[in-house]
Parts: sequence; C-alpha cells; structure tokens
Amino acid sequence: MKIPVPCGGTTMEESSPSQNLNGQIGPCGGGINTGIKQSDESNQRIQYSIPGILHFIQHEWARFEMERTQWELDRAELQARIAFLQGERKGQENLKNDLVRRIKMLEYALKQERAKYHKLKYGTDLNQGDMKHPGFEEAVPETNTESEAPFSSVSNFTWKQGRQMLRQYLQEIGYTDTIIDVRSNRVRTLLGLNNNEEGPGSGGVNGNETGNKRASDSQGRRTPAKKAQPSNLVEAMMLDTEAAVMANFEFLSGADVDMEDEDGLEDDIDESGEVSDETIRPSSAAKRKANKALMLHEADDVDAEAEEVLNELNLLTQAEVPGGMTQGDPQDWIISTGSGAYSADSSKRGGGDDQVDSTLGLGELAQLTVNNEAEPAYDLPTTKESLRKTWSAKYTLRSHFDGVRALAFHPADPVLITASEDHTLKLWNLHKTVPAKKSASLDVEPLYTFRGHTGPVLCLTMSSSGEQCYSAATDGAIHAWAIPSFPLDPYDSYESSVLATKLTGHTDSVWRLVCHPQREHLLSSSADGTLKLWSTRTNSLVHTYSSEQDGIPTSCDFVRDESDKMVAAFTSGHCVVFDLETGKPVTRLESTQDIAVPEVGRHIYRAVCHPLLPITMTAHEDRHIRFYDNNTGEAVHSMVAHLDAVTSLAVDPNGLYLLSGSHDCSIRLWNLDSKTCVQEITAHRKKFDESIFDVAFHPTRPFIASAGADGLAKVLRLDPMLAPSQ
Amino acid sequence: MKMADGSTILRRNRPGTKAKNFNGWPDEPFEEMDSTLAVQQYIQQQIRKEPSNIELILTPPESQDEGVWKYEHLRQFCMELNGLAVRLQGECLPENCTQMTATEQWIFLCAAHKTPKECPAIDYTRHTLDGAACLLNSNKYFPSRVSIKDSSVTKLGSVCRRVYRIFSHAYFHHRNIFDEFENETFLCRRFTHFITKYNLMSKDNLIVPIVEGDAVGSGESEA
Ligand SMILES: [Zn+2]
Ligand SMILES: [Zn+2]
Repeated sequence: MKIPVPCGGTTMEESSPSQNLNGQIGPCGGGINTGIKQSDESNQRIQYSIPGILHFIQHEWARFEMERTQWELDRAELQARIAFLQGERKGQENLKNDLVRRIKMLEYALKQERAKYHKLKYGTDLNQGDMKHPGFEEAVPETNTESEAPFSSVSNFTWKQGRQMLRQYLQEIGYTDTIIDVRSNRVRTLLGLNNNEEGPGSGGVNGNETGNKRASDSQGRRTPAKKAQPSNLVEAMMLDTEAAVMANFEFLSGADVDMEDEDGLEDDIDESGEVSDETIRPSSAAKRKANKALMLHEADDVDAEAEEVLNELNLLTQAEVPGGMTQGDPQDWIISTGSGAYSADSSKRGGGDDQVDSTLGLGELAQLTVNNEAEPAYDLPTTKESLRKTWSAKYTLRSHFDGVRALAFHPADPVLITASEDHTLKLWNLHKTVPAKKSASLDVEPLYTFRGHTGPVLCLTMSSSGEQCYSAATDGAIHAWAIPSFPLDPYDSYESSVLATKLTGHTDSVWRLVCHPQREHLLSSSADGTLKLWSTRTNSLVHTYSSEQDGIPTSCDFVRDESDKMVAAFTSGHCVVFDLETGKPVTRLESTQDIAVPEVGRHIYRAVCHPLLPITMTAHEDRHIRFYDNNTGEAVHSMVAHLDAVTSLAVDPNGLYLLSGSHDCSIRLWNLDSKTCVQEITAHRKKFDESIFDVAFHPTRPFIASAGADGLAKVLRLDPMLAPSQ
Repeated sequence: MKMADGSTILRRNRPGTKAKNFNGWPDEPFEEMDSTLAVQQYIQQQIRKEPSNIELILTPPESQDEGVWKYEHLRQFCMELNGLAVRLQGECLPENCTQMTATEQWIFLCAAHKTPKECPAIDYTRHTLDGAACLLNSNKYFPSRVSIKDSSVTKLGSVCRRVYRIFSHAYFHHRNIFDEFENETFLCRRFTHFITKYNLMSKDNLIVPIVEGDAVGSGESEA
C-alpha cells in the first residue's frame, strides 16, 4: 500500500495497463516521459514483461486497499448515523409517550373537576367507579391487563353522558370547521406543557437516558404556577381543555366501539388502559414524597393538582398569545420553555425545522397510542421503522374548482397529475414552488391544465413510462394524453396533440383505470357493467369482462404476482379474479361474514393488489379494509380502519405499507406486516358526505398524496431529516 | 357521526354509480349543511335542480354573506366555462382566430403573461381560465371560503370582465358552439344576470344579446 502510492498517484490512476508497463521502466516520476515515447511504438503490439505485470498488480492492489479503507470509513460514518437516528427515534418516542401521558393526565384532572362540581352542586359523590388517583398505583406492573381504560368503562356512565353532551355542543358550534383549529391549537399547547416538564417519570418508564437526562433541570420551574385563579377562568379552561381532549380522543373513542367485535384487538385496549394508569404518575412525582400522607384526603389533594394542571395550561395559552410559540420562531420557544431533551437535541443541528415538524406531527402521534403500544416489535430498530410517524404535510395543491377525484404520480419525476370533478386534469411539478403566506406549507401552481372531458373526471392512471396518462369521466370515453415534456410554461400556446386519442367503448361512467406495470395494457371498469382491457400500443380494445351475478364493477386492478390475471370488485360486495386471456372468472373473493349493513355496507370503493404477494385488499363502505388470498379466495384479515367509509387504498412500491383514505377526512398509513396504523393525518374537509377520494404513493420518491372533495390535493413528504439520503 | 343511525341519507357518488345518478341524491336544506363548502353545495344543488331557473340560482339563502356568495358563483362560472373551452378547442384554431376579438372594435390582450400579450383566441381562453383558477384559489387573496376580505372581493370584477370575453368571442365567431352550449347550460344568461345583479361590470360591455327568457327577462328589467 505504501510503496506505489506516491509514484502511481495521479498519473497512473486513469492510465491503461499498457501505459503502466511503460511507466515502470523509468525511475518513479522522472522516467515517465521516456517511457511514453517508447510506448508509441510498443503500444501497437502489447508486450507483457514480468516486472511490468508485477508492478501493475502491485498498483492495483494498492488501489483496492485504498478503496477498502475508504469504504471502511464510509461504513463507520453510516453506522454513526444509524446510531444517531436511533437515538433520535427514541427521543421522538419519549416525546410521544409523554404527550399521551399529558392527555391522560388532563383527562384525569377533568374527571376530578367534574366530581368536585357534582359534589358542590348535588352534595353527593359522583359514582365514578374506576376513578382512582394513579399516584396510588405505584406498583402497577407493565403487564397489568386488568385495569380498565377509563374512557371505555361501562360503569362510568356520567362520563359518557358528558362526552355525548360535549359532542353535541361541538356540533352545534360548527364542529367540522373548528375542530381542525382546535386540534392543532391544543396539541401545540400540550406540547408546550410537555416540554416544560419532561418529567423524570418518562425517563424511568422508557429507560432512555439520552432522551431525558436534561429534563429534571426544568422540573422545578413549573410548580410555582399561579395557584389562585378565579374559578370561572378555570372553568372556561375546563371547557377548552375538554374540547382538546375530545378532539384527540376522537380516534380512541371510535376505536373502542369499533374494535369490540374484533378478535385479538382487545389487548390493545387493555394495554392502553394500563398506559393511562402510568401516565398520570409523573405529574405528581415531584410532590409525591411530600404529599404522601395527605394523599388520603383524596378530594382536596386532587383538586389542588387538577387546578395546578389547569393553571399550567392557562399559562401556556397565555404565552401563546404574544406569539412566542408560533412556528415562526421556534428558537424563542425553546428558550422560554426550558430545554427539554428533545429541543436540546434539535437545536444542536440548528434544527428549528425539526421542532416545527415534531409539533405538527404530534396531533397524530397522540392518537396512535392504542396501536403503537400493542406492537410487539416496537423497539426493534429496523429500517422499516424509519417510515413511521415521519410523513409531514408539504404541499397543498389548490387550483381545482371542485372535488379532486383521482391523482397519479409520475414514475420518476416529482410530478403529480390530478383529475377533478371540474372536468379538468392538472399537472404539478412539486419542485416548482412559491412560498405561501404565513404557513409552513408551500404553494404549487399547476403547470398544465388538460381540457377535453365534458363531465366530472373520475379516474386517472399513468403509464409506467411516464409518457402517457389516461383519464375517464362520466361520459364513458377514456382520454389518452401525451404528457407534455418539461419544462413547461403554464401560459404556453395550446397544443392539440396533447390529447392523443380517445378510447371509446364504454357507454357509462368509467370509475377505475389501471395501467399494467410492465405490459402495454390498460384496464377499465365502468358503470355500464363491464370491464375492458385495452392495448395502449394500438389504442384498441382487447377484451371485455363482466359478471352477471355480481352486478356492476366498482374497481379493478391487475394481479401483480401473476402476469395474466386481474381482480375486479363488484356492487355485490365481492371480488372476482379473472383470467385476462380467457375472460373466465378464476377465483371469487367472498367475505362470508361480518358485513353489518348488507346493501350499502359491503360496497367496495377500491380493490388493489399487493405488488409482490397474491393478496387483494379492499376498501369498504362499512369502514373496513379486508384482505383476501387470491388463490384460495379466502378472507385472510379484516379490520375496522376508519371512522367512516374507506374510499381509497395504495400500497407502497416495496409492499410494506398501505395508505388508506376515508370519508372521515383522514388518511392513515398502515404497517402491512402487523396491520397496525402508524400514522393518521387529517387531510381534507367534507363536501356533502364525501371527503377523500384517492391516495397515492410516489413510485420512486418519498411522497404521498391525497385527493379531496374540497378541491384540494395534498402532498406529504417523508421527513427529510430521517430520510436515508438526508 | 352520521354512521350511527342508518336512516340518514349519505350524499355520495360511490364507484359504479351510473352517470345519470351522479349527484342524484335528495336535496339538502341549506340550514343543514355544516360544511365549509356549504355555499358551493347549495349553488350546485340549485343548478342541478333546474339550470334554467336563473332567478332561483342567484337568490342567496337568508343572511348569506354577499362576498362569499359572489365568489362561489364566480368559481362555478369559471368551472362551467371549461365546457365551452373544450368545445372551442376543436374549432377555434390559432390559424383562424389569431386574436381575441368579439366585434371588430377591440383586440383583447391576454393578461396572464408578465407583459400583456396578443394571444390567439383559444390561448386567451385557456390562459384566462387558468389564471382565474389560480387567482380564485390563491391562498393570499382567498384563504378561506367562509369569509372573504373586501379587498379581495374587488378582484372579482376583473375576473368577470376577462371571462365574459370568452362568451363574446364564442358568440360572434363560433355561433353554433355558443348556441349548443347555451341551450344546455344557460350559462351566458346566468352570467349576464349575475353581473348585472351585483354590478360587477359596466353594462356597456355586455355585448352578447341574450334571449329574453322568462327568468332572464325580469332580471334585466330590474337592473
Ligand atoms: Zn375562435
Ligand atoms: Zn396568453
């Protein structure tokens, strides 16, 4: 390694073997000139000499050695990075745990307050069977599965009633409009609280030293919060807080009901109950010693504590008013709330952004408890985990006049096409952005508007080459578009050649189009009762399929692990696997049980095939996602996935994650392995009773997108901080 | 929430719905619409019921904010004008209609470019609709669909003026397309009525003579 480097160095690096031979003849460096002269003649007939070969080998060996050290260096670097990321993930996890803890704490405080109120008003004790101060449960083991979750308790009648009332109240004041704001505000407040007192308990629970070692510093600052608040202010806060808690527990409460009929999911609930017991502990941890004796006088003590918690909240909301906690200046925020473990971490990298991102993500994190806690592989640092919780809203695409029915990503470029009920399609380049006013997200303007349809556009697909896209509307004609090449000026002159051709044959609305990933085939399903296979090379019809007994097709997809099959969903609520060549049904995917409302409930909005496995996934009106084995036709899994009809599904290119969209206004990301929800994002608003029409994964880039009835498309990006490439 | 009782009507176009049943649900009273898009829902519902009943379509629900009402209507107009643009694409070629004109009196310059440009009629049409889509969806001027700043409401007038030229070009140069479209949608009549009702353009510029239909007649005289 040492010998040849100074000599070979630069001259030899790119030279061919024959030149190396010559270089060897003269003394190092100086003799090269003479060598090259000779080489002009000797080059013609290459002469191998033993010393020449030896030198060459020596040189090559040196080169390999150098490369090896380089690689080793790289490896060490990457390992360091992995360790760093893992630490960071743990930090995130602690943050989340703590947040959940805060929520439970608030919930507890609320109950106490309610009990107190009840007592004052009626002079009797409120019967809250399961209400126990968690401070007493110091010995709660991690495996305690008997304790009931307070929010699912049957005995807790008044609590439920109160919740019902609150819900009605929320509806009256315009629930749908305000809830998103309430949510984000509250989550921010909660986060502030969280940073303020990253308690020692969290360190204990998670055993994570790096995450929380600085937390205790700030512990002392929180207790002297103003205690003597006028009681009506506290009550006002109560309402506010309750709204926040409710907002965040929408998911949980929904899950309670939903999961009762699901086998094997009861554990989740139990575990979350256990969590709720633990969670309140840290809040009192500081005072526990001093107050141990007093704890017996439960009511008084608890009142004081509830008040303190509320005061804290109050303080934070007040602080929020001057704008100290806005996303604009995270730096201020970090300083003013004391440096919790997480903020210390992120400021090290100058990461104001990180802070903001985590803020944005937490609303969803808080809702994930049930599923996350139940996951056995929770702490295994696999690469898959990096996908978790890290998708954040990036772009809002606004330019359509009516609901966006479908969207498709370009196979390679950061380009998205959207199809809308306003009869147009629009093309967007996600890298051409203009910063939007006072919001973290960026505005993108469409680069091209495809006009040609005379009705609401219902579906869209892009060819695997990215050169064509196909769309269809209520008029039944399938339009084939040549995607204009980039760069584009949105105000260029009109090229009629963009609309390449129309595929005619269907006589009613076409609801689903799919391009074959390899072949030049296009599959369509229409309300005229048929599915059609088209050749995209000749733009002609290849085959027509239908199933008399099943009615009208609602969705379709090519079976990915076998080349000559497709699966179609029908209004009967069943899917049928067809042989593409013979047109004969091969397998019927029937779900025999568990469909609640037979008529509408079983309606399948979307059927997609796994990219690698013989599995079909279906999205149903009855809030379920069902999984079928394509070969046996049996249902292999079924789960309540949303609070309302599931409308769209997309599988990531590696087949590890499933993305679902629903008329409950949210999109959810699922781990296909464990079938658990890893992220939930409220994305769109309702128009009539519809909200989200389509979701998509970018085939090669870290983007996902959702299309909404509110006329918007939203693009989320994998947090660049955690993405492998950074 | 509505899932709880099965009796509630779900106003949805589920995949597989036939074209004739698209949006074919029973009307929802405006008071019961709790969405931020209630005004759009209401307008579209009224149009679906009877596109020729312009008076009814342009009558706002009680205590409706006028800015939002005008804004949502203009969105609807621009959206439906796509239909006219699609028809024009087939016939209004840049070779024949090299400039945006109606009567020979004026040549309209396309405002979508950095410096106004003499675009062919079809480009003018497309650029104007694209520009209107961007403006009406702009986060800066129209961040909310529930309340609109007065300063933004004033923007609506210029959109109306430009968009109206599409009607006038079609009327004077592609009469067959115009008539066919108008018979189906009553859009120019509705637009004229809308503009007069809310005084969004000077009356001198309304050069397309509109058929004195029953609904339209009353609107004309009152303005
Ligand atoms: Zn023309
Ligand atoms: Zn132009």
